[in-house]
Amino acid sequence: MKNRQMQGYVGAIISVVLLAVLPLKMGSHSVLSLMHLDVSILSEMLLFGIAAMSVNLLLGYTGLMSFGNAAYFGLGAYGAGLSIHYLNVNFIEGALIGTAIAFIGGLLVGPFLLRRRGIYFALLTLAFGQVFYFIAYRANEFTGGEDGMSFSRPYFGFPGWHTDLHETTFYYLMLLVFAAVLLGFWLIVRSPFGRTLQAIRQNELRVRYLGLDSNKFIFVALLVSAGMAGLAGALYGLLIMFAAPLMLDWQQSGDFVMIMILGGAGTIWGPIVGSLIYVIGKDIVSTLTQTWQIYIGALFVICVLAFPRGLLGTLLYAIARRDVGAPVSEEEVAHKTWEHGGSAGTPTGAAVAAAEQKES
Amino acid sequence: MLSNVVPSVFNGLVLGAFYAFVAIGLSLIMNLTGTINLAHGSFLTLAGYLAFTLVSKGTSFWFALLLAPLLTVVVGVVVERLLIVPLYKRDPIFSLLLTFGLSLIAEEVYRLIWGPNGVPFSAPGVLGGGISLGFMQFPTLRLFIAGVLAAAMVALALFLWRTRFGLRLRAAIQDTEMISAMGTNTQLLYMVNFALGMALAGLAGVLASGLLGLSPTMGNALLMPAFVVAIIGGMGSLFGSIVGGLLVGLAISVTTLFVPAANEIIMYILMAVVLLIRPRGLFGTEGLFG
Amino acid sequence: MAQTLLEAKNVSKNFGGVLAVNDVSVKIEHGSIYAVIGPNGAGKTTFFNALSGFYYPDGGQVLYQGRDITTMPNWQRVQLGMSRTFQTPSIFPELTVYENLLIGVQSQQKIAFKLRLPSASRKKEIDAKIDELLGFVNLAHLKDRPVAELSHGSQRLCEIAMSLSVDPTIVLLDEPMAGLAEAETERIMRVIRDLHDRLGLTVLFVEHNMRVVLSLADHITVLDRGAMLAQGTPSEISNSQAVREAYLGQEVLNRV
Repeated sequence: MKNRQMQGYVGAIISVVLLAVLPLKMGSHSVLSLMHLDVSILSEMLLFGIAAMSVNLLLGYTGLMSFGNAAYFGLGAYGAGLSIHYLNVNFIEGALIGTAIAFIGGLLVGPFLLRRRGIYFALLTLAFGQVFYFIAYRANEFTGGEDGMSFSRPYFGFPGWHTDLHETTFYYLMLLVFAAVLLGFWLIVRSPFGRTLQAIRQNELRVRYLGLDSNKFIFVALLVSAGMAGLAGALYGLLIMFAAPLMLDWQQSGDFVMIMILGGAGTIWGPIVGSLIYVIGKDIVSTLTQTWQIYIGALFVICVLAFPRGLLGTLLYAIARRDVGAPVSEEEVAHKTWEHGGSAGTPTGAAVAAAEQKES
Repeated sequence: MLSNVVPSVFNGLVLGAFYAFVAIGLSLIMNLTGTINLAHGSFLTLAGYLAFTLVSKGTSFWFALLLAPLLTVVVGVVVERLLIVPLYKRDPIFSLLLTFGLSLIAEEVYRLIWGPNGVPFSAPGVLGGGISLGFMQFPTLRLFIAGVLAAAMVALALFLWRTRFGLRLRAAIQDTEMISAMGTNTQLLYMVNFALGMALAGLAGVLASGLLGLSPTMGNALLMPAFVVAIIGGMGSLFGSIVGGLLVGLAISVTTLFVPAANEIIMYILMAVVLLIRPRGLFGTEGLFG
Repeated sequence: MAQTLLEAKNVSKNFGGVLAVNDVSVKIEHGSIYAVIGPNGAGKTTFFNALSGFYYPDGGQVLYQGRDITTMPNWQRVQLGMSRTFQTPSIFPELTVYENLLIGVQSQQKIAFKLRLPSASRKKEIDAKIDELLGFVNLAHLKDRPVAELSHGSQRLCEIAMSLSVDPTIVLLDEPMAGLAEAETERIMRVIRDLHDRLGLTVLFVEHNMRVVLSLADHITVLDRGAMLAQGTPSEISNSQAVREAYLGQEVLNRV
């Protein structure tokens, strides 16, 4: 156990150091420019990683098929954009307002989702997500409609002390935010609350018969997830200084789910690994060919059919297989059941639903 | 006023019939196998393009209307057998993501073959013009589409309620395990069921392309309303899908007349209201879905 | 006269027009071991589910310590002091035995909702409680094994320990011997007796094995086709002509 934990810490430190030195110049070229990459692509990777983590909390840990997290992501971007454009707020305020707007979005949609599970839950997240898409699309005097809205990036800091962020400092700020979110996520997953979420995924009926109102846990998980996605969206809006309806669209939600699966559902590091593959891969492919969408689609299809555990998930599973009997970490446990269908399709899931029905 | 409202209500109902059609196909597949088919719209678009190509190669519209859905069924079943079948036993999120990937690929492929913009595809001259009903004119094409959709729905209902296979299919939707225990070939059921969904999508695709304009994203534009219709009608209820579809179509047409800016939001408002009053949709069956 | 802990008043439940439970009334006294018995399809489990809030009865009332809980959500009943097990053990398959119990103890300690790890002293308290539970059902040696890897009997014991982790007053056991070998049945019987004798809990269980019921229970209700056939002490039941004729068969009773 201790040994495993040490490995985790070492891995975390190595990743952070690697991510920190990536944009630095080595001679006349940075590592990135050798790959024809821009430093903002790294920021995008981190932010998409956070968005995928927000899906992971619901899908990977709690077993809820959420297919609408782009709604919160987009609400975050619009929240930041609109408040900057109309209220002249600064960077930190914009990011916080965006997060808050997404959180409110979760508060509004959550009650509709609470009592539903499985594919019905997925369908409702999909449909309710589109509401915000059409609002942004239709309120064009206010949001710029289909074309989206551009806004400038305000200074970072406080009225007394501030600085303008250029792409590299922006990236380091994102690295800091990412590290904080990752740490927070890790703490949540290990906390009694997080353990209960994982128990809900495995057997919601038993959780209820241990005297816990599973709906309350699910609602809080939804709100945390919405807030995380909103934060990622707000910062993404500040990164590209733009907000558009497509950020709210279900296809964007699908990308987040896929990023999480690519890395490994129910693992702490999976979403960022998936984001690395997806964001960098997409960037490279889209400079090579116009028809990059085919390759992204093919990547999804292959991953689903051949690597359903994702990259990191497959690796962790292999390690867990190697030392059977050793205490299993939260990550691996979360992952294992996850793949076999969670509580959604099992008779106990249906039974909960039946019981719920009577209750409502 | 009447001459304004009646045609737009009629148009709304035709649009709603499309939604219902797509929703029934989605529901069939969703109910039996737990697959949320995000590629449904892509198959619909495929049928439209196939019909377009057939007609531009000189076949008649009527023949294309028959052949294009059939070809779509063939493509759909091949995709189902090769790619989706391995996922039936896994968490439904995987088939959801697979069909999502397929829709991304399909959209791009259509762009490559038929170009990024819409292609002109219109029904033959017989269907142009209008039929006078005394107080007003009805466009023939819409009347024809309404007739075909209604006939197809009746045919589907007869198949599901009047044939042995239809009976098994409906029983399987209630309880898949019981059916396989009874020795029914579940794989055959899955395949026929998927083929039915594809046939509905195919027919809708050909008919819709004359009405909505044929472009790579035509199908996806119908997909989300169809999901909403399935939710409003109640998942697992085909009748619910029809009622939900017509209701949504009606709501959209009326809203377009009076508050055009809200004509896309209205169905979501309708959905929210229905779910508040009846959490499982208008005709939702209890306990069938979590 | 001991006070009534759990009471069913004229409880009925139908599924699609079929009356699975018809007008059944039961009074379970504090400190008793109460059995509901009947052949398959007698409505035992349906009755049990209506009592435990798995679903709600269509008619009648359920009272706990005199309070009407007919339509109280299941998780609230657990907080009142009713916990239950299922015919097929309802557990968290991929979690270890320890972690399975932890979820329950967290609930009992009212910390399941906390985002912070418990303090060292609280952690010690939790671990002590889990060890006590493990000792009670004799699973200490399997503490760190995922429950999915355990035998059916051990899974059931783990589930019983989970139902105890929430400090119940009454434990409802749904066919606790179902699918078990003879030796494991003995093990579970001992545990049920211990629930009563050592922990002072009230026990309600559903069972179709007559021998088990007559040797464990102090009160019995016999159900047949959804309706009450007889009610009473083991000796009253084994001497009841109605039970003999309608359900048990002479030879079963003679064997006891």
